[in-house]
Amino acid sequence: MSFDPLPLYLTVQISVCSAVVVVVLGTPLAWLLARKQFWGKHLVDAIVMQPMVIPPTVLGYYLLVLFGRRSMLGQFLEDYLGLQLVFTWRGAVVAAAVASLPLYVKPARAAIEAVDSAFEDVARLLGRSEWSVLRTVTLPLAWRGLVAGAVMAFARAMGDFGTTLMVMGSIPGRQTVSIAIYDAWQGGDLEKANMLVAIVTVFSIVVLWAVSRLTGGKI
Amino acid sequence: MENVAVQIELRKQLHAGLTLDVSFELGAECSILFGRSGCGKTSTLRCIAGLARPDAGKIQLNGDVLFDAAARRNVPMRHRRISLIFQDDLLFPHLTARENIVYGIHRWPRVDQKSRVEEMAEMFSLGPLLDRRPANLSGGEKQRVGLARAIAPRPRLLLCDEPISAIDQEGRATLVAHVRRVQQAERIPVLFVTHSTNEAMALGDHVFVLDGGRIVAHGTPLDVFTEPRQLSLARLTRVKNIFVATIESHSPPEGVTVVRVAGGPAVRMPLLDAAVGSSITFGLRADDILLARHAVTGISAQNILDGRVGEIVRHGADVEVLIDCGGTRFVASIVPAAVESLGLKPGEPVTMIVKARSCHLLDSER
Repeated sequence: MSFDPLPLYLTVQISVCSAVVVVVLGTPLAWLLARKQFWGKHLVDAIVMQPMVIPPTVLGYYLLVLFGRRSMLGQFLEDYLGLQLVFTWRGAVVAAAVASLPLYVKPARAAIEAVDSAFEDVARLLGRSEWSVLRTVTLPLAWRGLVAGAVMAFARAMGDFGTTLMVMGSIPGRQTVSIAIYDAWQGGDLEKANMLVAIVTVFSIVVLWAVSRLTGGKI
Repeated sequence: MENVAVQIELRKQLHAGLTLDVSFELGAECSILFGRSGCGKTSTLRCIAGLARPDAGKIQLNGDVLFDAAARRNVPMRHRRISLIFQDDLLFPHLTARENIVYGIHRWPRVDQKSRVEEMAEMFSLGPLLDRRPANLSGGEKQRVGLARAIAPRPRLLLCDEPISAIDQEGRATLVAHVRRVQQAERIPVLFVTHSTNEAMALGDHVFVLDGGRIVAHGTPLDVFTEPRQLSLARLTRVKNIFVATIESHSPPEGVTVVRVAGGPAVRMPLLDAAVGSSITFGLRADDILLARHAVTGISAQNILDGRVGEIVRHGADVEVLIDCGGTRFVASIVPAAVESLGLKPGEPVTMIVKARSCHLLDSER
């Protein structure tokens, strides 16, 4: 039996990078939504949550328009940073990150909101700056929700199909697991499809089991 | 006043029916903010600490302006160097007792941190507890760690909110004792919020009585509580009879100590653990005094005191009878029907009947 593990490697690579991007961008976002009142807060919330309801192909289309060679942003990234996103694995990272951001921000925000703000007041009275309060009190007390959210976002990135397909395309030898499964099914390679499906299924169960253990079933 | 440490003048609308409007000064001593719940005590503390912003006013600490509405100055909490003991202990649950104490002094050199923690451990007997997390500490232990954490950074002012009633009476008493010790050891001004007369007596050098958002009386606890001249104050301080007395004798078999109120009658109260000749303060609720027109016999109450009716003051369904007993004034609270049936009139003799157990020792060791 010839089994090509490349889609697995590529998928893990994309998902890990995506999870890192999501945590780095999503944590301050979750904190802002949880703790600060500002004009347009509900709009920001609605936009961040969009990928949960919008069709993945629509999301992919937006990303193509935004980062494609014909857009200003796409031009800028390619001319000045040498960064081409469309039809590359980096583009898949962006697609996966956008698609999985709400899955991190939602539990992260809930976890931060659940931290009694009186603890933060105690820290401030003891002379700590806002940044220090966040680092030493808020995030450590919210860590379960943050980790659970990060795991969910990672899993979502692994399973992304539509958005990734739109942005990265399906080039044999450069496919993620989800795309490879579709491709194998289309090509009648049932053995390969079954193998990948089994791996993804086991992985998904393990992830949800881990999240459930971590949060005591609260998220 | 030269030794004034804190000058507070603030106004803040708390809700439609209550506006906090206070102006007072604290020295480097233990001051009490006394009042029933919902009168603005906690809000006052929050404004001083910087957790809430007054609508108007000025707050100064050792000449340092912390808040000035007119000058639009509002020093952030972290630069105020004020510690606040909250109603809950609020220890950081993810840190050990030691890490909690170090939290406010993490910028100190390590040697200084270490010696300060040792000092705190000594003062609050925390030695074996330092490496435990709050989840593994008892209520009283948490309270002590919380105090140590508040004191460690050498704050310029210590504010104590009233522990929520969930804490047992004993826990409150030890908190009071610790705060007292802290104040004496660190020589910083302390402002302690309470609705308990006993705590105010035990702790206070100076009492401010807050009612309806305003300070209605202030002075030493003895002055404020023994001569509640104002009606609102009299209603706030439910213990209306507070006397300073000298211990005359103990009778362990009877379970009774006899004390003599300065220039007044001898009173029998439950056995005390204090030397004969020493001075104590005790309280007697106005509700706990029975009145009779004739001498009474065959009754379990230990004190039958003869006096003369001074004044009869009516507050709606409640009547306060002021009674002169050998030069000491007692206040008895009875219903209007009792005034009628006894035919009480100013100047007439009356007999007071008081159980020994109704006389409560008030802790005032100073």
